[in-house]
Amino acid sequence: MNKSADNGAPVLELDGLTVKLGRRTILDQLEASFSGRAIGLLGPNGAGKTTLLRTLLGFYPPTAGGAKVLGRDLSIEGKQIRAEIGYMPESDAFIANITAVHFIRLMAELSGLPSESALERAHEALFYVGLGEARYRKVGTFSTGMKQMVKLAQALVHGPRLLMLDEPTNGLDPPARKRMIDLVSDIRDRGTSRIILSSHLLGDVETVCDEVLILKNGAIADSCDLEADRQANKSFVEVDLETPNDDFERAVAALGCEIASLEPGKLKLVMPAEVSTRELWIAADEIGVGIRRLDLKRDSLQDIFLRAMEDH
Amino acid sequence: MAVYERIWRRYEGELTPLHWRGAVITKYALAEAFSSRIFAAFYMLCLLPTVIGVFLVYLSHNVSLLEQVGLTKEFMGGLTSVFFQFLFLWQALPAFFVAVIVSPSLIAADISNNALSLYLSRPVNRRDYVLGKMAVLALLLSPITWMGGLLIFILQAYLEGNHWGIENWRIGMAYFVGHLTWIVVISLLTLAISAWVRFKPAARGALFGIIFILSGFAQAINAVTDTSMGDLIHLTRAIVNVVMSIFGGPTHGDLPIAFNWFTLAATCVLSIWMLHRKLRAHEVVK
Repeated sequence: MNKSADNGAPVLELDGLTVKLGRRTILDQLEASFSGRAIGLLGPNGAGKTTLLRTLLGFYPPTAGGAKVLGRDLSIEGKQIRAEIGYMPESDAFIANITAVHFIRLMAELSGLPSESALERAHEALFYVGLGEARYRKVGTFSTGMKQMVKLAQALVHGPRLLMLDEPTNGLDPPARKRMIDLVSDIRDRGTSRIILSSHLLGDVETVCDEVLILKNGAIADSCDLEADRQANKSFVEVDLETPNDDFERAVAALGCEIASLEPGKLKLVMPAEVSTRELWIAADEIGVGIRRLDLKRDSLQDIFLRAMEDH
Repeated sequence: MAVYERIWRRYEGELTPLHWRGAVITKYALAEAFSSRIFAAFYMLCLLPTVIGVFLVYLSHNVSLLEQVGLTKEFMGGLTSVFFQFLFLWQALPAFFVAVIVSPSLIAADISNNALSLYLSRPVNRRDYVLGKMAVLALLLSPITWMGGLLIFILQAYLEGNHWGIENWRIGMAYFVGHLTWIVVISLLTLAISAWVRFKPAARGALFGIIFILSGFAQAINAVTDTSMGDLIHLTRAIVNVVMSIFGGPTHGDLPIAFNWFTLAATCVLSIWMLHRKLRAHEVVK
């Protein structure tokens, strides 16, 4: 799998990126590099996710540091970067009194498509997002879910190399949310366009993204490569013992497990791929300690996120 | 690819030049303006002064036709500068109404639903956007103002001969510079209002307010202070004086023409500042 942009450069490089609005520091010395097919921006409300996207689009000038998008320097190639991006903003964004196909065609032409190609792709994009039957309706008459879809259509109509999606499932009911996530996943799987997905919904990011940047108060709280973690196939086990027991901890450590004590008698173990839960049961039996609960699971994004929120 | 296949693919075709994107904004806004038949009909009416002007110039040089209707070549006292000044006014006035009708929706429609973020996330910057919108007004107003005016001037110069065009160059210059100045001022002003006032009738009211109420206020200042200082905020007087000075005709008030130019320039600068403040990719909430 190609893990960088088409030109071989990382999709996103942050080099001490700092953004201040007024006296307030919104983004504080962000330093990271991402090359995955889909990059997730996670964080609580006000963490700086949207500001980061807007900065990458050139809406805010960096106060210090810089960034590269698709290998292009943000400070000197802003227009070229925007030519290769499709942006779906978080809030409503449309022209109310024109038809959907007219609206999408306008956006396609602004992105550089000749008029006829723009019209053709406007129809395609609207069918792709499921608005084919509604394409001659005025956008102002659309429901919230349809407006989200039309925003997605305008973002992808020109076939950008990078899609920036800011809270794409906002305001959607569960079926519409699933459809949106399916569409984004489909675009990711085709591999012709990279995705930066900003969301505070862990499930959306976990489903779509293979790299995650977690922001808190404008700083990087954590970043992880979900795809690498998935491929490493690590197993995580939560064990509740009947009584705290140091011998059991030493025994599982001898098996190669990493141990984190949540509280006395409660352990969280990271197991190597070759160790199974059966060996934990045997160790407990040999030591003579009872196991009240043994919960096997992968380290979910939720765990990573919560840990990042606690640590920072 | 057939649309029913519902497949997304990357665009592999050619792209238009980057500097051409502002013209897309102009194209769509023009199409939007002429989607109203009432406006299209009104616009045709706005061409009437030019058509009448062309007819009168032609008539004044067609002796046989004049004789048939019982008139002489001097029926209008000759086509003096006053005729062209009168014609200028009847071209500028409809142009103002066209601007009033079209401009309120030019920017307001994009701002009211946050569409600006979609424009500006593409290779279009704020300058391209404003120039694209200004071009709409320039394209609409030019045929009914300076283009029509110059057509009449050239026709008159051609039919009159004897170096009439050279001797009366001020008329041609007044049409060109005067109308263009008016177009720039009124375009920037109406766009600025469109950016700040989203409700169309209110935007139109604000424009009338600036033009007419401010004029009244300026005259009140003149009366109270017994000076012409009120003319500094008198937009219509400023443009009339500028145009009359180019025509070589009499101007109103005691202020030198440079002050009238200053009024027009200040209006443009203020409008640009208002546009700069309001045209952002996102709403700034304090």
